[in-house]
Amino acid sequence: MVRVENYEVPENLYYSNDFAWIKVEGEKVRMGITDYAQKQLREIVYAELPDSGTELTQNEPYGTLESVKAVSDLVAALSGTIEEVNTEVQTQPELLNEDPYIKGWLVVVKPANLEAELNNLMDFDRAVEWHKNQGK
Amino acid sequence: MTRRVVIIGANAAGMEAASAARKKDRTAEITLVTQEKTSGYSRCGLPFVIGGQIPRFKDLIVYPPAYFKMLKLNLKTETKATAINTKGKVVTVINKNGATESLPYDSLIIATGADAFMPPIKGREKQGILSLRNIEDGEKILEKVQNGAKSAVIMGAGLIGLETGVAFIERGLKVTLVEMLPQILPAMLDADMAKLVQEHLQGKGMHILTEKPVEEFLGDDKVTAIIAGGEKIEADLFLSAFGVRANTKLAIDAGIPLGESRAIKTNSKMETDVPDVYAVGDCAEAPNLITHKAVCAQLGTIAVRHGKVAGANAAGSYSQLPGVLASAVTRLFDIEAGVTGLTEVVAKKAGIEVVKGAISSKTKADYYPGALPIKVKLIVEKESQRIIGAQIVGGEEVTQRINALSFAIQKGMTVRELAKADTAYAPPLNETWDPMVLAAEMILMRLR
Repeated sequence: MVRVENYEVPENLYYSNDFAWIKVEGEKVRMGITDYAQKQLREIVYAELPDSGTELTQNEPYGTLESVKAVSDLVAALSGTIEEVNTEVQTQPELLNEDPYIKGWLVVVKPANLEAELNNLMDFDRAVEWHKNQGK
Repeated sequence: MTRRVVIIGANAAGMEAASAARKKDRTAEITLVTQEKTSGYSRCGLPFVIGGQIPRFKDLIVYPPAYFKMLKLNLKTETKATAINTKGKVVTVINKNGATESLPYDSLIIATGADAFMPPIKGREKQGILSLRNIEDGEKILEKVQNGAKSAVIMGAGLIGLETGVAFIERGLKVTLVEMLPQILPAMLDADMAKLVQEHLQGKGMHILTEKPVEEFLGDDKVTAIIAGGEKIEADLFLSAFGVRANTKLAIDAGIPLGESRAIKTNSKMETDVPDVYAVGDCAEAPNLITHKAVCAQLGTIAVRHGKVAGANAAGSYSQLPGVLASAVTRLFDIEAGVTGLTEVVAKKAGIEVVKGAISSKTKADYYPGALPIKVKLIVEKESQRIIGAQIVGGEEVTQRINALSFAIQKGMTVRELAKADTAYAPPLNETWDPMVLAAEMILMRLR
């Protein structure tokens, strides 16, 4: 884990331009939002997530996060089928603010086209650069 | 069909409107247009960059580009809205390269703000008269300061003038402040409370000249001195802080009526008199909660409240602004000053018969080290005994007392109820009897 400006960026994850992270876990992929995203949204009070079995398409919205300050689409970092939804963040959306990379994961997906689509994401080094450029 | 929301202006009011609109309509096409290079920053923070408390102007940005992306807001910077066709529902804009574009709208929000006002003073066309309204202004001023300006004249003793004056002194400049009226902060405080602030500023080395209208700018092409109240004052830097005026030209040209405050007329949903056109922020008016008369108080806190209401309505939802109290606070060196509701002067002008009370106290128990003076002034309407205004000047703990009194006024609290208020106390934090409560008791005695 490194800190860029005021934002945490863990190693071993891939990142999208739409403030999502993914972690490859064998055949599956875990997806969430970055520390940067949760800090922009501030206190998240509502997480609207699809059910298991829903098909995701890379770069397409699949849910919504709403905070006191704002509302933002969740944009899929990869295509695939949702196998697991974190119901804890639906009942305790504050987990997204408190622990966006561990307890605040959103969905586990069986990727449809992992190898090819990973090329559209940032690895750790590029994500660090990206976070530096998000500085105000 | 996708709703199109166009917002002219992308700072406090415009950004709040955009966020509120997005919360109510997830699919609307929301476009913000701003003449400035930078959007979504805090104007209120500008004096503190000049003072050096905040390192860079870009630190004032509240909404970075990522925020626009997350909320799917289109932003057109360095783009000026030149005309509104309210019948065809189209805004014409021109960008810095001279390209024009038509932006059709279903809802339009006008957040054109206000500009620094320059009275018709002889020599005002001369160069070198600065004002502080946006980041570019701030950069110009800071450059002058960093290039060795040794002295400054500030014209106008409102919040911008005083906060910038403090910043100049902190940067080592010699500051002379000239004000036409007999007191500083004339729009915020009554003279008795303003005097406390003035004495503090003078103690910190600010040279304050009241009842000195600026009569002339001297110098060949560039201003080198002013004449105020017959007196010639030379300086390296001249800041015009006479006040701001609502930018209403675009609205006037489009046939959108102004109200009695000379800002754009709005109702409690922030709608103008023209269907589907809203106005918010420093260019728009709203009713004062006490007098029910339209006012244009031009504060950031009011701008965001306007914006939140207009944004929701523009996106097809429903929201109302109850009105404004124009609560405001500031800190100048080591003194804080705040107001909510009406001052004694404004209340009397509005024909309201008032009873006032003022208590000088300390911010901690009198025996506790570090206790600082604080003075609370309350204004009460005589017949209803309701609190209609409060002013506080003190070394600390002013803001949350102003907020408490703002709640009291908004809820129609009477002075009798305030005198019985159940307040908290501990020696390091305040006096046993809060000065707000004692001021209420003083008024009750006067009402007997």
